This record gives sequence, structure tokens and C-alpha cells, in this order.
Amino acid sequence: MAAGWPEKDDQALLALVQQGSQPAFAELVRRHTERFYRLAYRYVRSRETAEDIVQDAFVKLWEDPGKWQPDRNTRFTTWFYRIVVNLCLDWQKKKRPLPLDEEMPLIDERETAAEAMIRIQEQKLLEKEIAALPERQRTALNLCFDEGLSNQQAAEVMGMNLKALQSLIMRAKTTLRERMKSYL
Amino acid sequence: MSEKQEDKLDALLRSRRIEPASPDLADRIILKAQGLAQNQTMSLWQWIRELFAEFHLPRPAYVFACTLILGFVVGFNTPMTTTGADDLDTDQVQGFLYADEAML
Repeated sequence: MAAGWPEKDDQALLALVQQGSQPAFAELVRRHTERFYRLAYRYVRSRETAEDIVQDAFVKLWEDPGKWQPDRNTRFTTWFYRIVVNLCLDWQKKKRPLPLDEEMPLIDERETAAEAMIRIQEQKLLEKEIAALPERQRTALNLCFDEGLSNQQAAEVMGMNLKALQSLIMRAKTTLRERMKSYL
Repeated sequence: MSEKQEDKLDALLRSRRIEPASPDLADRIILKAQGLAQNQTMSLWQWIRELFAEFHLPRPAYVFACTLILGFVVGFNTPMTTTGADDLDTDQVQGFLYADEAML
């Protein structure tokens, strides 16, 4: 039954989901859960919360698949990134982000203790400074650097033109360079 | 700002750490959705069809309703004509009746 699903594109799967197909929904979830989780994690910095947000987004899609309008000439991922970003921002408005110190640092075994310490410090500072950026600048960075979207795709997700997005990224990077100059 | 700093910042941004998701996350989402019903949003056309389906009647009922409507239309459009001779006698009849009442 599920043999044909991987060959179908997202739009075809969504059309089936709109008809109530659970295997099509399952294929869509398996295909995209990881990428949307990564994006959510960037915002909330907690595995449990990021998983809850992704689950919430997919469940909403299942419950009301009619929200997806195939004739709008937008890719599913672009549309769904927007939903996940909005859920993350809603969560941030309701709850305080987790303190950075609670995060578990990942140690690379090839590093010396000193190198690892510097890298962890850099990461902590970077996360702190990114969290302090204005919302739109943060979203632009998350989409372009972490998700590897092209500037054009990120601009579509954020509903703005390319130049405005480039300007946001430039401002974000200038702020980060300024605040992290001792590490750069 | 030097190119080296720019590159270092880009490298830092690209190497932001991420805690991996639970391996069963996708399965959990699928399982949760399986227990939920879908809200099917209707297009306008579907909505109209549903509306007519709600008021579905057997064909003879439609024929009867149409006949009644036609009857009303014809009835209301026909001028109320009465015979002229009867109208002329109305006053006399009324006078006769009133006269009888007076005697009582």
C-alpha cells in the first residue's frame, strides 16, 4: 500500500491527505519531520518543546488539510516552514526561553579540553546573541544558515522580497560580528 | 570588517549545535493523528450541494409544490371580475336586510 508513496511529491500527498489518506500523511510526516524539528529547535532550544511544536503543526495539518491551497503556487515546505515559525514565535511569547546554561554541550572527541571549552563558550555566546536579535533577523538567520534555504526561499517563507531579506541578514550579521568580536 | 572574521562568523552560524530529535518522533505524530478525525473544509459548491441534500424531497412532492405555486401565481394574476348585474343589486339586498332587522 505504502510502496508508491515515496515517489509522490508533496503536493500529490497533500491532495491525498485532503481526501483523508493516512498513509499519505504518514509519508509526509516521515519525509519532513526532521527538518521542521531542526528549525523549531533553533527557536526553543529544547528537544521536548521542539518535538511538541512539530507534532502540533502536523496534527493541525491532518485535522484541517483544507488550509493548504494547492493553487497558490507555493511549495508545501515553504508554507509549512511559516506555520512552524509562527508556532515557535507563539510559544516564545507565552513562555520564557530555557536558560542557555541548561543545554548539554556536545563534545567532539578530537578536540583538546581547551579547544572544546573555547568552542562551547563561542556556541553559548552565539546562541545568546542570536536570541537577543529582533525576531525577523533571527528567523532570517535560522532559515538561511541552519536550514540551508536559498535567500529567495527564505524570503518566500517570511513573506518579503529578496532585498528586504538580504538586508535583514546583513544587519543580523553586523550585530553578531560587533558583539562577538573578541571571538572572531 | 575583515574577510576572515566574516568567514569565521559564517562557519560559527553553520555549526550551531542541535540536539537530535527522538527517533520515534515521526511515528508518534502519525499515531496521534490516527486517533483524530479530519475537519473537512467545504468549498462553496460543496456547501450548496449539502444544503440541497438537507432539503431533499421525493419527486411527487416537488410536482405537488410546483402545481401549488403555479396555482397561486395564476390565481393572483387573474383580475377579480364579478358579474355586473349582481353588483347593481347589492344595495337593494342590503336595504332589504336592514329593513328586516329594524322590524325585529
